[in-house]
Amino acid sequence: MKINEDWLSVIVAFALIALAMIGLISPAWMIF
Amino acid sequence: MTTSSVSQPAENKSSTAGFIAGVIVVVILAFLARWAKLAVYGLELPLGIPGKALEYPLWAALIGLVANGILKATGTYESIKSGFRTELFLKVGLVLLGTTISFKTIVTAAAGAIVQGVIMVTAVYFFSWWLGGKFGLSDTLRAVMSTAVSICGVSAAIAAAGSVLAKKEEITYITALVIVTALPLMVIAPLIAGALGLPEPVAGAWFGGNVDTTAAVVGAGTMYGEQAQQIASIVKQTQNALIGFVAFGLALYFSTVVEGKKERPSASVIWKRFPKFVLGFIFASLLFTFGVIEKGSDAASAISAMKDWAFCLAFVCMGLELSAGEFKKMGWSPVIVYLIVTLFNTVLALAVSWIIFGYLLPIPAGAL
Repeated sequence: MKINEDWLSVIVAFALIALAMIGLISPAWMIF
Repeated sequence: MTTSSVSQPAENKSSTAGFIAGVIVVVILAFLARWAKLAVYGLELPLGIPGKALEYPLWAALIGLVANGILKATGTYESIKSGFRTELFLKVGLVLLGTTISFKTIVTAAAGAIVQGVIMVTAVYFFSWWLGGKFGLSDTLRAVMSTAVSICGVSAAIAAAGSVLAKKEEITYITALVIVTALPLMVIAPLIAGALGLPEPVAGAWFGGNVDTTAAVVGAGTMYGEQAQQIASIVKQTQNALIGFVAFGLALYFSTVVEGKKERPSASVIWKRFPKFVLGFIFASLLFTFGVIEKGSDAASAISAMKDWAFCLAFVCMGLELSAGEFKKMGWSPVIVYLIVTLFNTVLALAVSWIIFGYLLPIPAGAL
């Protein structure tokens, strides 16, 4: 099945949100 | 087309390698853009421009443009361009941005954005269609151009092209035009807004209604301020949601009026063309609104920083994807039409956003 880019962006974004919420992504690493 | 069973896996392998190499190039360039932003942040530049006024969208797009030239000159561009994913990075950034905006703000701004969107899309679409006719452009080209300039550039052009069965070169041409005009507008619009002293919500609504690609809208908003970035994103996404309705209307017009067919296109195109990532943006905002993601928490700071990285990657890709070579193929008439319509769009959007977001449905500055 081919995932459309819109849904792919939602999946990637929520995966990142989940990782940040459980503390696996620290703000110190991502500082812009 | 025939492809041997032996060569296909080899092609797949090289396209995957090209994609990975492309993404790596984009990430390295985004780090360079971040470094450039930090390097000039505290400096006083010529003409009294403070270094901090030059935000990362400008550096990212400029560095992307320079890399674009180098990659094309060295013949490596085509093999890695599949990794230049402006839309994907941008949409990831927009969903992450949702976690910083309350649902109430989305509803308030979207109400104004719907009124603004309907006025702008209708006025700009029909002006562009009429002017294109005066300049003798084909029906398919002016349909694609009018949708691109009135709604949201590249994705709207592709949706319209599907509805009117436009030629592939017409889409490529309009896509190039959209990016060539959006990049300077991304820089100029915040400067004009600053000179006019526009409050951030009005400026954001203006960028959202005027600048043609969502990436450049977010870039202009980012350069003007945090609230401008948020309102610009909401206004643009609301406008993007109108794509389906325009695509349906165009399919109906071209199949019944232009081609004289009796059967009507299905209204399912409205959902098919709806930008689904907007649902992710709204759901992310609900997480923030109901306190699942708390303002000022470590998680919120990490998400906000990832949002900036995602946008930075998108702006780098914008510079990388710029191509002016298409113009020679189709002549300059469409360029003239596009520029006149863009000017009309810019002035009208300024008036409409000022009236709606300044007087009719005002959002207080700093109220997010």
